[in-house]
Amino acid sequence: MTRAPFTWAGFRRGLRMGLALSFPILIYGLAFGMVAAQVQIGWATALGMSVTIFSGSAQLALVSLMQGGTATLWTAAATVLVINARYLLFGATLRPWLSAAGPSRALPSLLLLGDANWIATMRAAEKGEEDRAYLAGTGVLLMTGWLTGTLIGAVFGSVLPDPRALGADLMLPAFAASMMTVMVRSRAALVPVAVGAAAALVVAQQAGHAWGIVGAGVAGAVVAALTVRPAGKA
Amino acid sequence: MPPLWQLMLVAGLAALTCRFAGYLAMRFLPASPRLDAALRATPLAVMSGITAMALAAGGLVEALALGAAVALTALTRNDVAAAVAGVAVAAGLRALGI
Repeated sequence: MTRAPFTWAGFRRGLRMGLALSFPILIYGLAFGMVAAQVQIGWATALGMSVTIFSGSAQLALVSLMQGGTATLWTAAATVLVINARYLLFGATLRPWLSAAGPSRALPSLLLLGDANWIATMRAAEKGEEDRAYLAGTGVLLMTGWLTGTLIGAVFGSVLPDPRALGADLMLPAFAASMMTVMVRSRAALVPVAVGAAAALVVAQQAGHAWGIVGAGVAGAVVAALTVRPAGKA
Repeated sequence: MPPLWQLMLVAGLAALTCRFAGYLAMRFLPASPRLDAALRATPLAVMSGITAMALAAGGLVEALALGAAVALTALTRNDVAAAVAGVAVAAGLRALGI
């Protein structure tokens, strides 16, 4: 099997997208760093968490677990697994596109996977992006922004403005809403949109935001699998 | 509490598992039109879910910001610029104290 392209050109296209995503991620990193500083987690630990976990929601949950003083290895692992369960869906949906690069390129690329660049990469792939280095390109700047934000927040947290005032909490929803809008090209595409929204609201109310994302993805996938018409157009 | 380095190691491994497991598991699922349709629908459903939860948790500012992002995308077809503009709308409205 011939491998899909994995070149500097694709990486640079990813970087360009990552640039747009990295500023809000930096602000979000600031928020995490500030929370970590508030609960007396040192900057080195905060930075270490941002490198190894690289997921704001999971890190914030872990910090609150540590703050309560009840953290065990089991609860730490379970917290991250539960909050990041959505990454199972992200990886699964990337597979058909990303696997064409071969495992030695695909797996390292996944280390740089986050919510925002998953959305951006799925969008790019749908638009016809052939170069699999695109994902890593978007991810490098996300990681850079995340680490820079974490460090600044943890060290200078007390003198920084509230990230909410800058709209950082709406970064991911705004990208999701915009990219969803361009990807809806037929009336049939409104089905997963409606199913995802309904499932997210119901599940999030019962089990929290992280499961809301999982619920939306699973419900959308199941409905699509059950209603697919043989040789029909989506 | 266990030592910090152990907590971070375990949390890091859990995060790594989530990043790899879905991707690797797909190897064992045979390709089919149903699977194909499911994988294609998932991103749209997740994006819609994220938007819906933000709207439900937010108020007027969040609705106007995300509404602006959708409307500008529909008008200009430039999704990235529209999303950034949506965030700017939220920051602007909050600066006005709304």
